Amino acid sequence: MRNRHAFSEMSPMAFLNPDFFKRNRTRQLFLIWFFLTPSLVIFTLYRIIPLFWNGVLSFQFWSPYQESQFAGFAHYEEMFFYDDVFWKVLWNTILLMASAPIGIALALLIAVLVNTPIRGRNVYRTIVFMSYPVMTVAVGIIWQWLYNEKVGLINYVLISLGILQKGIPFLGNFTLALPCVILASIWQVIGFYMIILLGGLQNIDPSLYEVAAVDGANAWNRFWKITLPLLKPLIFLCFVIGIINSFTAFDLIFVMTQGGPGHATDLLITRIYNVAFKLSKFDYAAAMTVVNFLFFLGLTLLANKLAGGEAGAVEMER
Amino acid sequence: MPKHPRWPIHLILIFVSALMLIPFIWVLKTSLSGENIFAYPPSIFPRNPHLFYYVDVWYAIPFFRYLVNSVIVSAVVVLANIFFNSMAGYALTRDFPAKKTMILLFLSCMMIPFQVTIIPAYLITKKLALLNSYLGMALPVCSTIICIFVFKASFEAIPKSLIDAARIDGLSEWKIVWRILLPLSKSAIATNVILAFIWSWNNFLWPLIIIRDQEMQTLPLGLSRFLTVVEDTTGALYAFCIMVLLPGLILFLLAQKEFIAGLTTGAAKG
Repeated sequence: MRNRHAFSEMSPMAFLNPDFFKRNRTRQLFLIWFFLTPSLVIFTLYRIIPLFWNGVLSFQFWSPYQESQFAGFAHYEEMFFYDDVFWKVLWNTILLMASAPIGIALALLIAVLVNTPIRGRNVYRTIVFMSYPVMTVAVGIIWQWLYNEKVGLINYVLISLGILQKGIPFLGNFTLALPCVILASIWQVIGFYMIILLGGLQNIDPSLYEVAAVDGANAWNRFWKITLPLLKPLIFLCFVIGIINSFTAFDLIFVMTQGGPGHATDLLITRIYNVAFKLSKFDYAAAMTVVNFLFFLGLTLLANKLAGGEAGAVEMER
Repeated sequence: MPKHPRWPIHLILIFVSALMLIPFIWVLKTSLSGENIFAYPPSIFPRNPHLFYYVDVWYAIPFFRYLVNSVIVSAVVVLANIFFNSMAGYALTRDFPAKKTMILLFLSCMMIPFQVTIIPAYLITKKLALLNSYLGMALPVCSTIICIFVFKASFEAIPKSLIDAARIDGLSEWKIVWRILLPLSKSAIATNVILAFIWSWNNFLWPLIIIRDQEMQTLPLGLSRFLTVVEDTTGALYAFCIMVLLPGLILFLLAQKEFIAGLTTGAAKG
């Protein structure tokens, strides 16, 4: 009834007017751009401008209290040749990224298992995925407590089993701290890998396996010759998420170790935060950010290329 | 195919589930009883559960204040996301000059993680005089690219004839979006609400940078601050943990399907 009414309000002759569609078109174009504006403004303000500003800042001497001055490559020179901490945090970041395949392999195993027609598989899926949407700060607090020297569950279990004589301060140990943080980060993200890989497994045509089985391929061969190649793009997608994880691990590190002991668990992102907002060296932190971004971009594009398709990234927004 | 015994699969999955669940259960137990590993004999269930630590959290720290701040910021982010993303998503289903460029622009913005823009983003927020404010916390995440594409896909699945009919009937573009497209995109809206809520609820780095005032701190900030002032054996910290974990967990368990759908569409879209 309403629509009919709206129709009768328009002049029936409107369609005969040659300007009708043209005017309508202009109005529509205006509306389209009006619809796009809020999102465009936000992305321009918080993605595009910052990216370029950051680049400019990295070539300047600048602090909130002084006029900017052209610095050339001074910051980059300092970073590459004189800053040992930079190389340390870069190496830590690479180690964190390099740990992604371990998590992905485990996630693949779990995904294959929860894809079998067993009872309660939905419950298993939910449980494995449950650690992903929860607050990372809380996850960090829980894990730093599990690792605690005196009251931590992990030490308690290891001592009870007779593996250790007395508790180890895992997060205070120079060699163990980073692997421990990495373990916590894998624990949180593994469910996400699993969900992505599971989606891929469910898309594989079951008749492929039947044909292969008739041809005499055993389960192991079927996995290597069918499942793995078909999952390749998704495995690389998981790897991209693992790369991005080197940014999102900030929350974990901040709560668990603050980058310590020394710089044993310091990542590029935590270092950038400290240099910029604790030491107020915005210009130098900007130069580190540029390196971090280029490093990230290079790896992501490489992973995309290797995946032979479009592997996007969903976690960016976090 | 020969039938395999199922029990090894169950065994492995139960083991994995235990690894995933034990940290949660352990925190819940400690928050309810305060007993740590010192309980003898050791048990997974608390012996004398009480809510003392929860009351403690409520009174010892401005928990309510943190909660209100978190809720306000999340509400702004969720509402803004539904409005802005559906508008942009609809615009991208229409034909207009520079459409390809726009899509490319959005996709390349996706390649800029927010974390690499924090320094200028902080300076911009300062220039806008939004430091220490709700809007400052919310603004950078008021529109998310993945969710724009979730809306776009959902709108494109709606028959074009329906939209044309509405247009002939004289509905304005605005009304087409609000009266026809959005009511038909309930699952896209659900995905948006959940993702936007979880992202803003859990957001830590950005509020950490722009919030100086304790009055304006959100739950994650309050939690990390609380960590530095309490002994790590007290049950109150873990009661606090449970209280911030619950909303996200409950929302996830209620709307698991939409949540996973959103994450995987986003992942595949790229």
